[in-house]
Amino acid sequence: MAIIEIKNLKKYYGRSRGIEDVSFTVEEGEIFGFIGPNGAGKSTTIRTLLALIFPASGSATIFGKDCIRYAKEIAMDVGYLPSEVFYYDNMRVIDLLKYSASFYGKDCGKRIKELAGALGLDLRKKIDDLSFGNKKKVGIVQGLIHEPKLIILDEPSIGLDPLMQRTFFDLLGEENKKGATILFSSHILSEVQKLCGRVAIIKEGRIINIDTISSLQENSYKKIALEAAADVDKAYFSFDGVTSLDVKGSTASFIYKGSVNAILRKLSALELINVSIGEPDLEEIFMHYYR
Amino acid sequence: MNVFRRELRANRRSLIFWCLGMALIILTAMGKYAGMAAAGEQSISDFIKMMPASVQAVMGMSGLDLSDARSFFVVIYMYVALMAAIHASMLGAVIIAKEERDRTSEFLFVKPMTRAGIVTSKLLAAVTNAAVLNLVTFAVSFAVMGQLAKGQPFAAGLARMMLGLFLLQLLFLSVGSASAAIIGRPRASTGVAAGIMLFTFLLSSAIDINSDWDVLKFLTPFKYFPARDMMLDGGFTVFYVALAVGVAAVLTVAAYYFFKRRDLRV
Amino acid sequence: MNIYFHELRSYRKNTIIWVLSVGAATVMFLSMFTIYYESAGELVRLFQAFPDAILKAFGMDVAKIATLPGFYSFILGFLVLCGAIQAMNLGISALGREATGKTADFLLTKPVTRTQVITAKLLAVLTHLAVSSAVFLLVASASAFSVSAGGFDYGTFLMMTLSFFYVQLIFAALGFLVSVIVPKIKSVLPVSLSTVFGFYIVGMVGAALNDDRIYYLSPFKYFDPAYIAQYSAYQPQYAAVGAAVVILAVAAGYLIYKNKDIHAV
Repeated sequence: MAIIEIKNLKKYYGRSRGIEDVSFTVEEGEIFGFIGPNGAGKSTTIRTLLALIFPASGSATIFGKDCIRYAKEIAMDVGYLPSEVFYYDNMRVIDLLKYSASFYGKDCGKRIKELAGALGLDLRKKIDDLSFGNKKKVGIVQGLIHEPKLIILDEPSIGLDPLMQRTFFDLLGEENKKGATILFSSHILSEVQKLCGRVAIIKEGRIINIDTISSLQENSYKKIALEAAADVDKAYFSFDGVTSLDVKGSTASFIYKGSVNAILRKLSALELINVSIGEPDLEEIFMHYYR
Repeated sequence: MNVFRRELRANRRSLIFWCLGMALIILTAMGKYAGMAAAGEQSISDFIKMMPASVQAVMGMSGLDLSDARSFFVVIYMYVALMAAIHASMLGAVIIAKEERDRTSEFLFVKPMTRAGIVTSKLLAAVTNAAVLNLVTFAVSFAVMGQLAKGQPFAAGLARMMLGLFLLQLLFLSVGSASAAIIGRPRASTGVAAGIMLFTFLLSSAIDINSDWDVLKFLTPFKYFPARDMMLDGGFTVFYVALAVGVAAVLTVAAYYFFKRRDLRV
Repeated sequence: MNIYFHELRSYRKNTIIWVLSVGAATVMFLSMFTIYYESAGELVRLFQAFPDAILKAFGMDVAKIATLPGFYSFILGFLVLCGAIQAMNLGISALGREATGKTADFLLTKPVTRTQVITAKLLAVLTHLAVSSAVFLLVASASAFSVSAGGFDYGTFLMMTLSFFYVQLIFAALGFLVSVIVPKIKSVLPVSLSTVFGFYIVGMVGAALNDDRIYYLSPFKYFDPAYIAQYSAYQPQYAAVGAAVVILAVAAGYLIYKNKDIHAV
């Protein structure tokens, strides 16, 4: 069953573009990555899903219900972690979390303790006095407090140290195992690569590719680095399928998409000292898309 | 200079609104007065003159004489001063507190500039704003009075009033900026500045009603430069001028002193 | 209900400060009645020498002016002014602080409709205003009884005192509307101070000019203390305008906020 279904979503802020044409579907139980550089339209899409802003045209459903009209019912089972932390002045962590819990009509006392324990968050402190990273933890806990069926994250890991990031991803993994679907928006590709199954890539307000991480990496792209006996001529590799070409004297590296046989023939014609053919990481594919 | 210019630009729109509001009050009030004076309702002036001072005061028409536009302007001046005081106290507080309110302090205060330098630029911008509002008030009043004064001399009196108004503005600017510099919580600092402004206004009204309280005049800047004296009898009281300048100076020094030493909120 | 209680709690300190200040001002002003009363006898004698037409033009009844409600009508304006500032602050802050505190995202991604959010917040504001007005009524009544040696017309006094609450409602509604229309109000006080004092000055200028058409422009004159003191009645045409302002402002506020984009900050 599709948890999120977005169809031709479009949003303009006055005359400036928010998103042009966004469509994708997130299936139940998926961890779905949503990647793109700053200003591509990730937050606009997410804020529309959350009914914080209203689309100019197109539609989106969550749990099969229109995300604008049934915003309230949908929110019951959605947890949202924004990129920037919000807080009310003069509240202690526990007050905010209890306030948050009060919206879902569940007793979340135990859950609060578990989550705060896992993240090492002091519940009695005033939110005002917390560091940025600790405020972020408050944001995480309040987003997961009601065991949501859908977790929407907008650049969630900024401000967390690597150790805490790992704990956080473990938490997300557990939620996912329990059945939660996750929409994960980010421009940090390594974390998307670590966590997500499928990704949608957005560029200038349009989705330009949707694929699984593994097939993005395996099927289409090879990352090739070589060292030749003599200096390499840049023109030698300037043919279809080669991108990110970098030639330095006798060494060269590039990303290749196309027939493996063709490139091997090309390579074997050179006097090589060393060669490596591997899978590029997402970052390199990403650069390819945005070139 | 860059901070100064930035602040001027940031406050430009609000300054235009204030100038328009001020002009509007003066123009409608004096315009309406012109109509009444033309209708020759002299009996009303006589009536007002006979009322006890406290009643005149609470009705907002102390010494109103409809045959003399200057006397009517003196009545309106109370509200001009009130508006200028609100503008100055809020401007003084906000201009200092805004970086912490908008969380831009990390941006501004890491620039190669001393805190004192930043405060100076900001205060200069605030004084410039106050001066512009003062000059616009002056210009509008001057034009209106020129139409209505019927040959009575008003220029010198009006100039004195505006000088008094400017001192009042400086005083409330320093109240605002000192509270923002000392307190540090942006919302609390505008609250304190507003509280002081409101208190002094209420106190000055109370003194009008109850002359037994005249001894408290030194507590409220609204009583330092009585409009009637400025306009008609031609004098500042040295004591009150010195008091206004002194208080403004002390508060400004305090603003520098505390702002240089306290932790900034980020 | 949780939003309601949360809001109720978060304004508590603010309300206490306002109630104490307004209470102190009330005691201060009403304590002047004794001094006023001494000169009032003289005033009554003076007034009797004037033609009725002029007295009427100023809305003064010789018999009423030397009474406590007569005096109260002179000072009530200052107290209502304070109440109005408090109300407008609350009205603006209710939704406005969600935009500045970046908490709109928090609140609006919870399973509540925007209508419910507004309703809960407005009810909390209403509760605070009602409590403030009730305390003001108590303090004013107690001071009035203690300064007036003889009795006074409490019915009229009560009508005048209640105007405090009505004006608060109007300014809270205006504040709410402003907070919904203006994208981000960074500092609440400068906005509410200038609006409230602006209307106050308009009303005072109207009074100095003795022009009751100007009264329509100032909520402070919708419940004119001088009129109530004299006739022990509200003026229906102004009261109706006041009610219309509240209803329209609140309705427009709901409508706008329901369809408004909440931007990231």
